[in-house]
Amino acid sequence: MNDTPQPAELHTTPAPPPIWSRVSVIWLVPLIALAVTLGVAWKSYSDRGVLIEIDFADATGIRPGETALKFREVEIGTVEAVSFSPDLTSVRVGVRVDKTIAPFIDDEAKFWLVRPEVSAQGISRLDTVLSGTFIEGFWDAAPTEQTYQFTGLDRAPVSPDPTKGTWVELRAEDAGGLAEGAPVIFRGITVGRLQNLRLSPAGGVLVDAFIDAPHDKRLSSQTRFWDTSGFSVSLGAGGVSLDVRSLASLVQGGVEFETFSTGGSTVQNGRPFRLFASVEAARNSIFGNDLVDPVRFTLLFDDAIEGIARGTKVHFRGVEAGEVTDISVRMQADSVGNQFARQQVVIALAPARLGLDESTEAEVVTEFLSGEVENGLRARIAGIGLLGTTRIIDLTDVPDQPEARVNPDLEPFPSIPTAPPAANELAASAEDVFERVQALPIEELMASAIRAMDSISVVAEDEKTRAVPGELAGLLEELRTLVDGLNAEGAAQKTISALDRVTSAADSVLTEIEGLGEMLASTDQAAQTFAELPMGEIGEKIDGILGDLRSMLGSEDAERLPRALSDTLEESAALLAELRAGGAAEKLNGTLDATQDAARAVGDATERLPELSRKLETLVSRAEGLVAAYGDRSAFNNEILTTIRELRRATSSFGSLARMIERNPRAFILGR
Amino acid sequence: MNVLTARAAGLIGCTRCGRVWPGEASHCGRCGAPLAPVTTISLQRVWAWWFAGLIAYVPANMLPMLRTATLGHEQANTILGGVIELVAHHNYGVAAIVFIASIMIPVAKFIAIGYLALIVAHEKFAGSHRHLHLYEVVEFIGRWSMIDVFVVAILSALVQLGFVASIHPGPAAASFALSVAFTMLSAQNFDPRLIWLPPLGTDKA
Ligand SMILES: [Zn+2]
Repeated sequence: MNDTPQPAELHTTPAPPPIWSRVSVIWLVPLIALAVTLGVAWKSYSDRGVLIEIDFADATGIRPGETALKFREVEIGTVEAVSFSPDLTSVRVGVRVDKTIAPFIDDEAKFWLVRPEVSAQGISRLDTVLSGTFIEGFWDAAPTEQTYQFTGLDRAPVSPDPTKGTWVELRAEDAGGLAEGAPVIFRGITVGRLQNLRLSPAGGVLVDAFIDAPHDKRLSSQTRFWDTSGFSVSLGAGGVSLDVRSLASLVQGGVEFETFSTGGSTVQNGRPFRLFASVEAARNSIFGNDLVDPVRFTLLFDDAIEGIARGTKVHFRGVEAGEVTDISVRMQADSVGNQFARQQVVIALAPARLGLDESTEAEVVTEFLSGEVENGLRARIAGIGLLGTTRIIDLTDVPDQPEARVNPDLEPFPSIPTAPPAANELAASAEDVFERVQALPIEELMASAIRAMDSISVVAEDEKTRAVPGELAGLLEELRTLVDGLNAEGAAQKTISALDRVTSAADSVLTEIEGLGEMLASTDQAAQTFAELPMGEIGEKIDGILGDLRSMLGSEDAERLPRALSDTLEESAALLAELRAGGAAEKLNGTLDATQDAARAVGDATERLPELSRKLETLVSRAEGLVAAYGDRSAFNNEILTTIRELRRATSSFGSLARMIERNPRAFILGR
Repeated sequence: MNVLTARAAGLIGCTRCGRVWPGEASHCGRCGAPLAPVTTISLQRVWAWWFAGLIAYVPANMLPMLRTATLGHEQANTILGGVIELVAHHNYGVAAIVFIASIMIPVAKFIAIGYLALIVAHEKFAGSHRHLHLYEVVEFIGRWSMIDVFVVAILSALVQLGFVASIHPGPAAASFALSVAFTMLSAQNFDPRLIWLPPLGTDKA
């Protein structure tokens, strides 16, 4: 037994371990996990992009969480939600955009859907068949106010980046064969595209043309655009020519441009240009590109307006100032109420051609024309061109017209009073030409030539002539030479050749004129009249007379000369003797020598008829002086003088005709 | 049921080989494993790993598990999203497997471990065989919850057909793997001896 008392059992509770040893280090694990998770969550939240909303007409192919938003083909966001706009008319696509790029998306930003497209240019964006539709956006690098709500474009812009070219606005009457995406051509090279084809609120059609850099440098404010849609077939001397600019332009139209004149200024984006129907219209139009909406006026004609069509030129006092833009018939009622039709012609005028500033308001132009009308200005139909075959509307002063005023309130445009059509002035003047040709003093010329011959005949037939001394025979011989010269060496021939030239001149005039059967015939007739003139006959007649003279003078029986002539000759001989005795023989000889010289000069210088004429003049005056000095003792003297005078007249007539024809056959024909 | 625990008998059991040693021993004489006294302090580790697993489980469910790119279409699915998609494609079997392996089992594990860690050292439940079974089930099934991660890993390795089809693991795969690993560690750190531990206050060792 062991009585040793056992110590009371000690109840001890170990001191609780300090808090730091009781807490296991393992708690760091969940703490780290929590920290990491929260950190990742916070980072992904703070890195979360900016939500923007884009309204599209439809959301074909857009899938939330998948469809990407791309900028320059780089994905910068994803569609997060697709909902509807409050009025349910469009689809609102919420896109989460990368935070770094979001500040650049300002109100200038454009968005559009990229899908595979099949067009005349080919198939594009085939990649999206597999990868699916995506949203493409474009904005510049200059962030302005950040925007979160956008409206997407219906279709991709031709060139989203405006810095990569220039876009201009083309205005046309109608779209013709133009289509969206049609090419813009410069000298056969496609340098841009058309986009955004739309109706203009002012009527007509608007389309944007985007010209890629660097070709946009070719644009100036003077540039003109025209439609090259479709193809043109022309039949000419070289056969049939078919003109197709390009296959694409055949299918979907196209626009070509060219700068015909210099001095234009640089073109800013959005500048309006007129789209002409053809290259000719573009080249010839007097309306500048600025004048897309020219000032228009209404003209009401009572008479037929044949020959007037759209595009017919309008002249303002002879200067081309506009064109006809529309023709219609307008029913009007007179004071009694009877309906009658008038031809309504709408014209467009370029203020610059009226002497006004290019950008003058329509009201100012109307006011200006009102003043002109009060001073007698009227609109009338006139013909221009050599024979007046081209019709124009002429705004010019017409005298003796009833008073009329511009009606600024007339619909659709203010009216300019009209006058009856102008008589065809040029046709009239052409007629005048032929009248002049016909009125040429041919008959007179002939008459005076014949008279001269008659005078010579009278002298020759006179018996006294038979007693003409040798010196007279010599004189007559010289006369013969002169006439021979006139005849054989030139005058007739020359006149005929001049007439040939007249004919050819007339021909050349005629060939310049189209459709002129009647006139042609009449000119031919005139030319024929010339050709048929009895020049040969005249020559023959002169020859005959001279022959008579020669034979008469050559015959031995001078006693058969008429008494009077014998007397005269005797007297002449006496006179000559007297003259010789009086020391004047030398004078007479001198005179005769002068005559001879003159005749020779005439013979030599038939080409220079005016000179001949002048020399004859001198001869006549000297002869006259001689006769005056020695008295009117001889009828022969008078006869000679008369003959010489007649010859002078005839020569001068020929001379002036020849001169006239020679100098300017055309002017001769045209009478100017 | 009255059970005599090793602790009550002044002994300490080796958690590795199961041999009991006198309470003073610091190392197992048989397998050399350190001998830890049965204490609820060890529950801290359970809870720590449990919370870590839970934290990792949240992104595992919120982030995409798989990124599937088919002919340019890229699709990212979360676990639950993938299940819904599979159901929508009438792959009910696969949907069920994925749902059970990736959602039901992890959630059940969280609940089971949390439950065990809460009720041990509770007088009322002390010495419950059901708890031991529950623990064993959790231990056994834990490795299978990696099935989703394996599927992702295998698919990512196999389905690399370039543009036609390719599969990449999403960030959730890593989170999920971590979550599973953490819960396994949590379960492993659970000292089953605690199941038999009477409430601390009543311990008369
Ligand atoms: Zn052991």
